[in-house]
Amino acid sequence: MSLPRSDYDPRRVCLNPFPFLEKLNLGKHRRTFGVYLAGGLFSLGIWTFLDAAILSAHAHSPAGEADYPVPVHVAFADWVPGLCSLLGILVINLIDKDRVRGDEGFGDSSAVWRARLFLFVGFALMAGGLAGSVALLVLKYVIPAYPDQFQYYGYANVAQNVCLMLSAIVLWIAQSGSGEYEYNLSI
Amino acid sequence: MAAGLKSTSFVTFLASYSLHVNVSLAVILLSFVLAVGFLMIILSCALWSNWLPLLVALTFVIAPLPNALFSHCGADDFSTDYGEGSSPIDLGRFITAFIVTTGFSLPLVLAHSEIITSGASVMSLIGGGLVYGTILAYAAAFRQEDSEFE
Repeated sequence: MSLPRSDYDPRRVCLNPFPFLEKLNLGKHRRTFGVYLAGGLFSLGIWTFLDAAILSAHAHSPAGEADYPVPVHVAFADWVPGLCSLLGILVINLIDKDRVRGDEGFGDSSAVWRARLFLFVGFALMAGGLAGSVALLVLKYVIPAYPDQFQYYGYANVAQNVCLMLSAIVLWIAQSGSGEYEYNLSI
Repeated sequence: MAAGLKSTSFVTFLASYSLHVNVSLAVILLSFVLAVGFLMIILSCALWSNWLPLLVALTFVIAPLPNALFSHCGADDFSTDYGEGSSPIDLGRFITAFIVTTGFSLPLVLAHSEIITSGASVMSLIGGGLVYGTILAYAAAFRQEDSEFE
């Protein structure tokens, strides 16, 4: 085998795709760093969408041009994908991670089954939010061919949902690591 | 022997004195930087008579609060995990990161919507960074006082 023996763990599903992270001495502070990063991503996503909403509320024609009616606004339909993702994050983070793994020996098998069902519901809510934001971008902003300053509302919505999903994934990885240099999602 | 003792005590006296001077100097410097940060934020509001950037100061002042509140919810004397793997601490860090990012993105969002001018946005960003940097530096400089039982 060409790999050194110490770097190879046959139980490992995914190799660490970021080997430079191990040089950053994140071993002790990996969980802390991950949680901070997740909070920052969460806030970034929410503020990306709020930027679009505030911009829509204060929309006006460019300086030097005649006033024209603004063709499209951020309505309640734009808020729905973000709310779905938010609900998905809540559901995912309310699950006991040892219960999902199911190898801790406590609880019966139905609890493990229910925990995995709720995990599925949470990830389905987040994926639904992401898909909904893409559908909203295409149906509400791209197909009617609005100018770029209004298509930004749709792109901001997609960026919000991507950021929320990344935040949930980073938080999950940071909290489920067992203090080793492992990046395996052992669900 | 006596001279050696005297010189040693003199050295320790010098060391404690310089440490004392350094600590008070650090406190004075940090308070000065904090005042400059608040000055920048208040100027960014007052120069354009639009008081929305004052929210940045409020945001950065309450940013370390969740960490401070939740830091004692972690490992007590009877728990086996030493602070790692504690959900309340994670929640505090998550909320802190959320509030800090909010503080940095609020002026940008307001300037993007042309509610405040870009000058006010930059000034409140710098002021907020100074205020939060002061809080971080203060917490990092004077942390070792209560960590002797850990």
